[in-house]
Amino acid sequence: MNHLDIDILIDKATEYVGNTWPLYSFVTSNPLSGLEGKHFLRATQEAGSLLDAEMFPKASVYKKALDNGAIDPNEIQELLKEHGYSYTPEESLKIMFKKASKKTENQQHALDQYMVKWLSSFMDEGLAEWQMPYKQEGFFHAWRKLAPYDGSLGTVRQTMIPKTSDEALESVLNGQPQETILKAFTQHLAALPGWTGYIKHRGTNLQAWQKEAPIQLKDYLAVRLWANKKLGFQLVKKNVLENTQDQRAGLPYVWLLAWERSWQKELLKTLKKSAIDVSKNEDSRPDAQLVFCIDTRSELIRRHVESSGKYETFGYAGFFGIAMDYKNPKNGLAQKACPPILDSCYVVTEEADENQEASKIHLDRKNELSTFWHYFLKRMKNMLPSTFGFVEGSGFVYGLNLTARTIFSKYLYRWRSKDRNVYEEVCTPDIKNIDTTVHPEISIPLTEKVGIVKSAFDLMGWKNFAPLVVFAGHGSHSANNPFGSSLDCGACAATPGRHNARMLAKLANDKEVREQLFNQHGVDIPKLTHFLGAEHNTTTDEIVLFDSEVPNSHHKALERLKENLKKAQITATQERLGRTKNSVSLAQLNASNWGETRPEWGLAKNASFVIGPRKLTQNHNLDGRCFLHSYDWKTDTEGKALVGIMQGPMVVTQWINNHYYFSTVDNETFGAGTKTTHNVTGKFGVVQGNGGDLKRGLPWESLFEEKDMPYHPPLRLTVVINAPINRVDNILAKNDSLKSLIINEWLHLVIMDPETHKEVLWKPHQDINTKVKDEKISKPTNKKVYEELSV
Amino acid sequence: MTSQYTTFPTLSDRQSGKADVTGMVPFLFWILFLANVVFALVNFPNIPEWRWGDLFRTNGFTLLLFTTVSFFSAIISTYAKSYFKERGQRSKFMVLCLAFTFAVLFFIISEHLLLLLLGWLLMGLVMSRLIGFHADWGEAKEAKKLSRNYFLVGSFLLGVGLLVPAAYHNSITLSAWTDAIGETPKYIMLLSTFCIITAALIQSAIFPFHKWLLSSMTAPTPASALMHAGFVNGSGIILTLLAPILIASNTLDVLLIIGGLTAIIAQFTKLIQVNVKQRLACSTIAQMGFMIMQCGLGFFSAAIAHLILHGFYKASLFLSSGEEVEKLHPKAPPSIRIKWYQGLIVLVFSLMGAYLFALLTGKGMAWDSGIFLTLIAAIAVGQMTYNLVKQNPLNGWQKIVLPPVLFISGIAVYALVYTTVTTFMNGMEVIAAPTSISPFQMAFGIVFLIGFFIMKLGSYRKIPWLYVRLLSLSQPAKKTFLSFKN
Repeated sequence: MNHLDIDILIDKATEYVGNTWPLYSFVTSNPLSGLEGKHFLRATQEAGSLLDAEMFPKASVYKKALDNGAIDPNEIQELLKEHGYSYTPEESLKIMFKKASKKTENQQHALDQYMVKWLSSFMDEGLAEWQMPYKQEGFFHAWRKLAPYDGSLGTVRQTMIPKTSDEALESVLNGQPQETILKAFTQHLAALPGWTGYIKHRGTNLQAWQKEAPIQLKDYLAVRLWANKKLGFQLVKKNVLENTQDQRAGLPYVWLLAWERSWQKELLKTLKKSAIDVSKNEDSRPDAQLVFCIDTRSELIRRHVESSGKYETFGYAGFFGIAMDYKNPKNGLAQKACPPILDSCYVVTEEADENQEASKIHLDRKNELSTFWHYFLKRMKNMLPSTFGFVEGSGFVYGLNLTARTIFSKYLYRWRSKDRNVYEEVCTPDIKNIDTTVHPEISIPLTEKVGIVKSAFDLMGWKNFAPLVVFAGHGSHSANNPFGSSLDCGACAATPGRHNARMLAKLANDKEVREQLFNQHGVDIPKLTHFLGAEHNTTTDEIVLFDSEVPNSHHKALERLKENLKKAQITATQERLGRTKNSVSLAQLNASNWGETRPEWGLAKNASFVIGPRKLTQNHNLDGRCFLHSYDWKTDTEGKALVGIMQGPMVVTQWINNHYYFSTVDNETFGAGTKTTHNVTGKFGVVQGNGGDLKRGLPWESLFEEKDMPYHPPLRLTVVINAPINRVDNILAKNDSLKSLIINEWLHLVIMDPETHKEVLWKPHQDINTKVKDEKISKPTNKKVYEELSV
Repeated sequence: MTSQYTTFPTLSDRQSGKADVTGMVPFLFWILFLANVVFALVNFPNIPEWRWGDLFRTNGFTLLLFTTVSFFSAIISTYAKSYFKERGQRSKFMVLCLAFTFAVLFFIISEHLLLLLLGWLLMGLVMSRLIGFHADWGEAKEAKKLSRNYFLVGSFLLGVGLLVPAAYHNSITLSAWTDAIGETPKYIMLLSTFCIITAALIQSAIFPFHKWLLSSMTAPTPASALMHAGFVNGSGIILTLLAPILIASNTLDVLLIIGGLTAIIAQFTKLIQVNVKQRLACSTIAQMGFMIMQCGLGFFSAAIAHLILHGFYKASLFLSSGEEVEKLHPKAPPSIRIKWYQGLIVLVFSLMGAYLFALLTGKGMAWDSGIFLTLIAAIAVGQMTYNLVKQNPLNGWQKIVLPPVLFISGIAVYALVYTTVTTFMNGMEVIAAPTSISPFQMAFGIVFLIGFFIMKLGSYRKIPWLYVRLLSLSQPAKKTFLSFKN
């Protein structure tokens, strides 16, 4: 067994380990992303038995869906028959009800506790004042030096532990067949999937911390397996992975299909109605155009903005097509501000506007002071004996703080939000190449700027320009919320999207960019058109316009827009919060109350991604269940824009959707459990109660309304594309990874062909047998079968 | 307005407005708190005393405590109202919060020893139920069992400590008990003191009885706030109520040592914690250690002031414990060097702080144990000044002005609280009984200073075995985490 083999086996074993994202940039990704190459049913069976997790909604949830009409009785009847079951829906429900999962004692808890103790101490990102000694030498070496002082494994002397992690693994695995080793690796990585997932994430995404304290999965395995042996446990647990022919999955899977099918038909019925209804009034030029993120929360606000005036809205990925990092002027740290599936090419910084240098310096200084103040308080709290004096001297102030935050949070929030966009007022974003060796200190080439702007209009199928065009990113406000970033823009790697929006507006306002757009690409932006950035606050539905550079000629229109956006805020919050009075005030309370565990619902309920023109979805309440991307098949003659949308936003929405699905069906394993007992660890994550595995998904409060009653219906994403079938076919034929996602049912694809007016489910032939005991899922073939959806 | 749209079927059938009586609980607490405040304001400083036979009594001290407790309950239950999204959990929490508040009330107004004991026991039982709040969670059940065992032992010891002398003197009320305690035979007195002190230490999770507190994070956040701002303070109250036996048995030094050592060790342990709630728990243990130490120095009213102020502090930190997520960049521990003239400023301000503290609180004006507290205040002022004059974004004059502004206002507010607390305690058997300085105390003071210097110089960072020892010491009990697979 040489090192190379071990590395290969570790890589293979990590398929089962998802990526755990830090909560300061929480990306809702598919916890089974390593298994996306397999069919959904197969992948869930394997992961389910390895992690001891539920992979489908509970029977009670299905029953509720059936009772409320979310599952069409005919659909489930038909699908049961189709999959060879002779049960009636009621009978099959009864069978599913019988299987109750039970808690078992964790046989390896001594080992798990041992690992969590060392991992959490080692991986801390600044919560502890006194960092673990020897961190710089790496996890294995630091552990090796400290383990002798720790009595929990019995006597350990440094000489007993091999010098490197490779040697340690060799000493433990010596003579074992590859198969056993792979099984051992898989099991031991899956024992603490949250922590091992974070090791994985840290290796690729957190260079600074990784340099400070390097850790690899190999180190984890070496320490764990060595301790495992010392504790006298077996290398491999028996009877896991073997029982994959899990009969339990068959029925729930069919029910899931039935629910999804019911939803698809419901949605198509709605969309078809719009497609027929709306065709007039196209020529009237709108007063303003607003572009929102494809996020499901935009659906609601777009409806209310549209009905508040003569406004047109669009849906576009919330990073506005700029693959950038944003250097936050508040702490000087660069944060990713584009989808995690993209590498950042640019870095955007804030530069002072003309004549505003002094204001910027003033703001910088304010930030510096507040950072220092926090550091000062921390020092006072940590040191002996100042901590006792500090508590006595400041205790009374903390008492006032308790009172203010409990009773007056809403008013404090209003007062503070007056100067929320200070940097935006005195600065303008400046784009540079991220690789500073290429173009140090100068902006990026004009062609790249033009490219960014052009592709935005291409993808959205833009035709004419209103005097004001607003790019609205979105961000969320909440207090005391470890999961705050999960409510921010997913397309911006869980940061607020305002900076990308401002950047795109600046590029689109650029004279040279406009000239070249016209000269080389024939895109004619009227002189009168001004672009500006904005941010949609998804908690309060307030839309803040960054209008410091709007020319005087537009001020009237701007004022009118602001007024109407206020109206839209009122009606939007009324609908979302289900109350007719003081809805904005309640929303502000939700955004500021430190005892609020559910400031907003985030992307819960997401079920579909509609790629098509707005007129397809306009005039219908889609209940916040759809991601909406503007697309016009007529202007996209070569299908280039559609490829872009399918490769980018579609994959991101699938991630989000799968994350919501798994976090809902097993909130303890894939989600984060209830927030009420969360314990923040290492500045980047949460554990439950006294400690344990790092939580890697959304909390219960973001998904459930009541005990056992999910607010988010766990459905796989249905993508609806409004384009000719041939075009979609051609794209899929050239994109194996996209095709495999659909064939393996990680998402469903429905094509609404505008030429034939037919709706079909893109569904290649496959032999998934849900019933037979030793099932084998045959390789999907390329034979395409379109299943017509009659609505 | 939504009627124009088709609506999709959803899962939720919103039953709106099913009346939930427990939703009124926060309101009740606010009324209670305000009533207490008004009553206190009207009567201050001469709070009337009332007695109901041998069963209950109220006085300034009970009023002070109950005002504080009703404040915490009001804040925490208001918080909990939006915190728990599951209806059943919300009502359960409200009921337990109500039960806890009344257990505390019962305990502090009891004059009859058996009632006092019952109140103590009830506080423990309710608290362990809050620790095991999530009943279907195996680890929570284990944590509940563990804490309940601690509290049962504590109640038993308190029972022995109270009832043995009571039986000897045939005195079943608290005041008769404290009056007679001076004439108790030595062996009974020592047994009783031992039991009472141990019971107090268990309640405050002082080493070596800290395990229950470090395993209590299965409690939901508002319950933890209630625990750290209310429950653990029981020891300070019981020691103050029973102070005569501590003085008569001459055991204050025991408190000084145990409290002081705990304060130092727990503060070091706090530095290595990577989970926010564990860090707060270690801090609580340290603060409780300091509070016990104040008792050991004879300053019972200072201990009461400390536990009230610490309650504000710790409740605030628990209720905002979700704010600790933050993207940071690795950085080296800050340098500690300052220039000579900055050192001079530190020294001058420390002395000024000490003088102001002694002047306003009366502690340390005489050559007695109050010196310790003044010394601590002086060092705290020094550390504060030190951090402010060191390189930082403050400019020259800010560096000179800010420290005095902070320490003068800090000390003044503290002195105000302290004297108010002392006034409320008028009529208690013992408010403050400073002891004269003994060589033993001086030796201990030096230990305390050594702890301070080790921390200040950062030399602890170079002692790996200490890190590992403290890490092991602060692990939760084995069965209370990762012991089940769900």
